[in-house]
Formats: sequence, C-alpha cells, structure tokens
Amino acid sequence: MDMFQIFYTAHRDRLFGYLLRKSGNYHLAADIVQESFTRYLEQYAEKEHNPALLFTIGRNLLFDHIRKNRSTVSYEDDDHGHAIDQEHILQIREEARLVFTALQQMTDDERDILSLLASSGLSYREIAQVTGNSEANIKVKIHRARIKLKQILKGHIS
Amino acid sequence: MNDYFISMFIDDELDLDEKIEFVEAVHKDKEFKNQSVELLEQEKLLQVDVGISMAAMALPIKPRAKQNIFRVWWPPVAGFATACILLIGFFMQGTVPVENSKELRRFVIYQPDIDQARIVGNFTGWSPVAMEQIGDSGYWSVSIGLPEGEHRYSYLLEDGQQIADPTVLARERDDFGGENSIIKVSSAI
Repeated sequence: MDMFQIFYTAHRDRLFGYLLRKSGNYHLAADIVQESFTRYLEQYAEKEHNPALLFTIGRNLLFDHIRKNRSTVSYEDDDHGHAIDQEHILQIREEARLVFTALQQMTDDERDILSLLASSGLSYREIAQVTGNSEANIKVKIHRARIKLKQILKGHIS
Repeated sequence: MNDYFISMFIDDELDLDEKIEFVEAVHKDKEFKNQSVELLEQEKLLQVDVGISMAAMALPIKPRAKQNIFRVWWPPVAGFATACILLIGFFMQGTVPVENSKELRRFVIYQPDIDQARIVGNFTGWSPVAMEQIGDSGYWSVSIGLPEGEHRYSYLLEDGQQIADPTVLARERDDFGGENSIIKVSSAI
C-alpha cells in the first residue's frame, strides 16, 4: 500500500465525520471529502503527509460551498438516508442524535471546534492552526464550546 | 485550577504536572468532578460514529440524479484507485453498466483543446471507447466497470496521439512505442 493510500484510509472517515458534524449535510460532507483529497494530493503530494492541511482544505471547501449557496441545510431535512444503509442510521442512538442536533444550534466557530475535536484526532496545536487561533486561546474556546453544548442539551439555551 | 483542564484532560492535552493538579482537583472538589464526568459522557455521545462508513455509503453504485456540488471537475486521484472508485460513483457520467463483480472506475483527462477523446485498454478489448466531454471545463470522462486484477490503458486524442494517464504513476511501454498506465483493482474496501 503506498503512503497516500495509508493516509487516505486513516483520515477519510475522520474528515467525513468532521464535515458531517460541521455541515449537518451527509451528501455534502461526502462530496467534500472527495474534493479535499483530490486537492490535497494535487498540492501536497511531494511533501510529508499532513492531516492538519487536509482538514484545512476540507474546512475551506465547506466554507466556500456555504458562502456560495447560503442555503440552510440540515441533517434532518436532507435525504441523507436514501443512498445508504437505513438500518445503520437507525442504530445511531437517540441521545447521539440529540447531541448532533444541539451541535447545529451552536455558532459556526463553536461547531467547527467541537467537530474537529470529535472527529479529526488533531492536537490542540493543530486545531489552532486549522482554525486560525493561538494555542492558548484554543484551550479556552474548546472548553467554553463544550460547556455551551452541555447547556443546550440541558435546555438552558435553545 | 483552570476549568479548561477538564477539556484538556478529555483531549489528552495535559502534561504531567497538570495531570497531578487535575487529579487533586477532582478529589477535592465534587462539583469539578461532576462537571468532568458530565463532559466526558457528553463527549462519548459527540464521538459516536455518525459517519456510517463511507465504503458502505458508496454501495451500491448507482448514478445519483442530484445536482453535483462542484461545477469544476478535477482529475481522479492516482494510487488509491479502489477506494476512490466507490466514492466517485456519486459523480458518474458516461457510465458503462457495471456487473456486481466489477468496480466502477471513472477515468478523467484534461484536454481543453480537442474535440474527441477516447480510452483504450485491456478492459475495452483494446478497442477505443469514446469519452464524454464535461461541459466546457476541458475535462473528458468515462466510467467503466473493472473486474478485480491489473489493468492497462491509455487515452487516444483526436490527432491519433496516445498518452498515458497523467494521474497514474505506474506505466509501461507497449509494443508499439506508446505508453500504458497500469492500475490495480482489488476487492472492496
């Protein structure tokens, strides 16, 4: 297996998880995963593989898409279930779905950070790099986002 | 004690001194301990695999009527053909029917200045198969079902020029002075 294939296998689902959490749109996330790897390979094939760059590319593509379309997309409304194994979706526990829905109620920045944490396996330093924050700042932002998510789940904010 | 130590604990970002501080705080301060446990429980839910494996998602391969997200097309990525093939199923155009035992491979080449592009390979019986132009993007595409194994192919341009796939590194010279790309298709991911 070549190096890129190993890299692809290791990060495909992570990137997908991040984009799905962040966008709430299953197909969009899947499309952007493909696009991200293609662009990543075009730009960085010669260098040592760098997950933070891959996530940066995916993040920027999602930004571009949202900016161009400006349409609100939601996990619930999208026809994400049509092309995939329905049973698998039903297996996602109800609680996790609540968390997922709560995530969509947060600000873009908060959702971005929590999605990266939950999916990417990147360190604080790398997340700071991807999101354009300082390392000291990201610690505080991460914790605040977690607390806010907890409050949303408790119904304090909605 | 900084509250954000809880997050740093969850995310494995504490150094040893901070870990000591964290454990002591958990021991002394019940509220801090409860907060830590609650956030850990929340994290478990946040990290649940919402993602349904992408491999599962890409099967069965069938054309999607949905509009493509990106207007610009990019050449397929070399070197991870098998994984890619399944996913690229979302973008199928110019599709040749696929049998169950075959995997769909989308071939794309960027040739903005020609009026016809064809692909020729062992999987076409070395007969040229026309590729479809993707709008006015300069890209040409065709999707072909490939059985498991090694495959050789090249592109034929309208002036009779034969070129290997620029996105695939593995190549070999054929007996007629041209060059073929070599790809391997293995069983599903």
